[in-house]
Amino acid sequence: MARHIHIVKVHHLTLSFPTRKDPNPKPVLDDVDFGIRDGEILGLIGNSGSGKTMTSLAIAGLLPDNANITEGSIKFAGKDLLAMNNRERRAMLGKDIGMIFQEPSTALDPLMSIGRQLEEVLTAHKDPTMTPEMRHKAITDMLELVGFKDPEEIMTRYPHQLSGGQRQRVLIAGAALLKPRLLICDEPTSSLDTVTTVSILELLKELCHKLHITILFISHDLSAVRGFCDRVMVMRDGKIVDKDTASDILTNPRNAYTAELLTNARLDTRILGLKPANVDYTTSPVLKAEGITAGYGRSLFERVKAKRTEEKTDNKVLHDVSLEVYPNEILGLIGGSGSGKTTLIRSLLGLLPHEGKVNIKSTSIGAIFQDPVSCLNPAHTVKWHLAEALRASGKKASGSDALARITAVLKECGLDEKYLTRRPHELSGGQRQRIAIAMCLIQEPSLIIADEPFSSLDASSSAELLKLMTDINRERHTAFLLITHNIHIVRQIAPRIIVMNDGRIVEEGQTPEVLNSPKSESTKALLDAERQIHGL
Amino acid sequence: MAQNTKTFKSPEASVFYIAGLILLGIVVLSFIVSLFWTPYDPEATDAAAKLMGPCMEHPFGTDNFGRDVLSRVMAASKYTIFISVAGVAIALVLGTAAGIPAGYFGGFADRTIMLLGNSIMCFPGILLALVAVAVFGASVTNVIWALGLVFAPTFARVCRVGTMEIKELDYITHARVMGVKPVRLMALHIFPNLVSQLLPATVIGLANMTLFESGMSYLGLGVQPPDASFGKMLSDAQAYVRVAPWLIVFPALMLVFYILGLYFVSEGLRVRLTKGGK
Repeated sequence: MARHIHIVKVHHLTLSFPTRKDPNPKPVLDDVDFGIRDGEILGLIGNSGSGKTMTSLAIAGLLPDNANITEGSIKFAGKDLLAMNNRERRAMLGKDIGMIFQEPSTALDPLMSIGRQLEEVLTAHKDPTMTPEMRHKAITDMLELVGFKDPEEIMTRYPHQLSGGQRQRVLIAGAALLKPRLLICDEPTSSLDTVTTVSILELLKELCHKLHITILFISHDLSAVRGFCDRVMVMRDGKIVDKDTASDILTNPRNAYTAELLTNARLDTRILGLKPANVDYTTSPVLKAEGITAGYGRSLFERVKAKRTEEKTDNKVLHDVSLEVYPNEILGLIGGSGSGKTTLIRSLLGLLPHEGKVNIKSTSIGAIFQDPVSCLNPAHTVKWHLAEALRASGKKASGSDALARITAVLKECGLDEKYLTRRPHELSGGQRQRIAIAMCLIQEPSLIIADEPFSSLDASSSAELLKLMTDINRERHTAFLLITHNIHIVRQIAPRIIVMNDGRIVEEGQTPEVLNSPKSESTKALLDAERQIHGL
Repeated sequence: MAQNTKTFKSPEASVFYIAGLILLGIVVLSFIVSLFWTPYDPEATDAAAKLMGPCMEHPFGTDNFGRDVLSRVMAASKYTIFISVAGVAIALVLGTAAGIPAGYFGGFADRTIMLLGNSIMCFPGILLALVAVAVFGASVTNVIWALGLVFAPTFARVCRVGTMEIKELDYITHARVMGVKPVRLMALHIFPNLVSQLLPATVIGLANMTLFESGMSYLGLGVQPPDASFGKMLSDAQAYVRVAPWLIVFPALMLVFYILGLYFVSEGLRVRLTKGGK
């Protein structure tokens, strides 16, 4: 059967980044050996730094210049890829091997309309038999296939006029246009919300069947591959530690590491030993916000346009939002992208001009943000960051007392003294987020606002961060306002929940009640998507 | 992680960098030596040895007053380097002090500061510096101040754009949430992250400043006799270009070394600091 013919065969691939100082470094890929069967969806799972992206780049021939393949071979449909020259490899890219990357916002040229970008894909691979009309037809057909109802209209649009999910669809359309035999998807859904993720995964599966495209799907999220991949491989430290059919690997993993990943991916509070704190709702809230309305100014262009058409567009992102956070509480705030969650916390933190009242009991309010890359200042050490936080809260930041406090807080966040002199680029994403929490803690706030802290972290780091947050909540009685699109986490650690949609609070109440009998459409949609992804 | 810790290296950038350092080294070395020792007194005239070609006693020859050209070139490097470094220092301080707040606060402050900067930039720089020197008198101090003012808007722009980029990042938002005051935020949180952009701009600024200074000295508005700068020596040598070409060649060569060296170093720095110019 055609399904058992390997389209890609990676033979004992070993890859390293030799430098002048260290000519024989630890290999990034160590004896990687696998095959991708024709027509299957193969999942490649692993934590950050496990070598999954390097594997995909090696197959696509897009490795950085300083990478050195010391051993092994890669065969694509019988041809040895490593023996080919650059020209031949380039001709294969797109036509035989397509790729979709993680960040849809930067993968499209902002100055080109969608139609032109897609046409560019076709003209780059010169096909003399194709007339402009045929190209147009091919593009509209493909856009329709990826789920756009009005392809002609989409073709005239520019990337900034599309949502994240729509952009990812356009990228998939671009990759599928040339009908490649292999499509490599490198974390295509990790920057999208749950509802969009489900629709993208469905689209990829459909393409796989309709166009007979083989897919290599890379993800750090084990649960995302459930019900999507045919087979799954697990990578760790450049080695493939486990491979099996998707259903087997996810229901009864034979490898200890896979089991650990699976536990972390579930973020199961019983296994992690977490439980939500008891909240006394009769005490006065630490944060009380009333009637917050906020929005962003419109650009000159939009103002002129609005004037000409004499339409009254509403540029408010938030409409009359009120909420309270009680001491010792973890309040979950969920909603799809564009529901106004981030605007709300920016208003609460006083970073955005807004109407309405925000009352906060304590002077300090901490915040941690989504992106672990930019959460710390690259010019300074960890010690400086913590000392600066201490000084900003009006306390003495030098001397042995301050140093003792800094070390204590760092220890509480699970990092020891040797991290004091490190700079952000020497830390992993999870460690950076912990430093960000330590910076909040040292100011002893009564409330920490966490904006999607888990979305860029792999499963293990997320689990550790979650444990840290609940520990802080239990021991220091710090309240958390946790913004996330992961309902699963909220369900387990937040006793109370708020659901937002279109800049309004659509539902609010005890977590079990809201999630078990959702009243609004948007809550139902979020729950459906979550059910499909996590298979719960 | 490991990739971030080492600076980016590309072969051609290294060649530029090393060539630049060698060229710059020649000029800086002659400057340092001139502080303690020159073969002859650069201002001592010798009627018996007028317009002598390069020979054993005077390797670079002598000028129309019989002054040793080698000694004068060495002494001139002192003024050229001093004026360019001091001028750039003034421009850097003014530009940073104006550019970071402009980028950070935006709105009215930004528009006012940039209007001021743009009004300076819309005149040809040399013209503005010439006017300033003509009004306040030709002296080394005035040249330095004039050039510093003329160059400040360039640095202000670099700082402004860099600040606008950085202030949107989470760590700045974080610092604001923590309650760090704006002045401290700009000085300790934003400024250190601008260094990688300011350093190449500073080196280029040094080269441009030297060209301006030479131009002004050539026109007689910079360094005053009997002191020498490269531009002044070129202007003095004009009349003798046919009979004594060495009077032009050696100062010009030093000028070329200095400027080319600075450009090469700046290019090398840019590539190193920005990891391949991306």
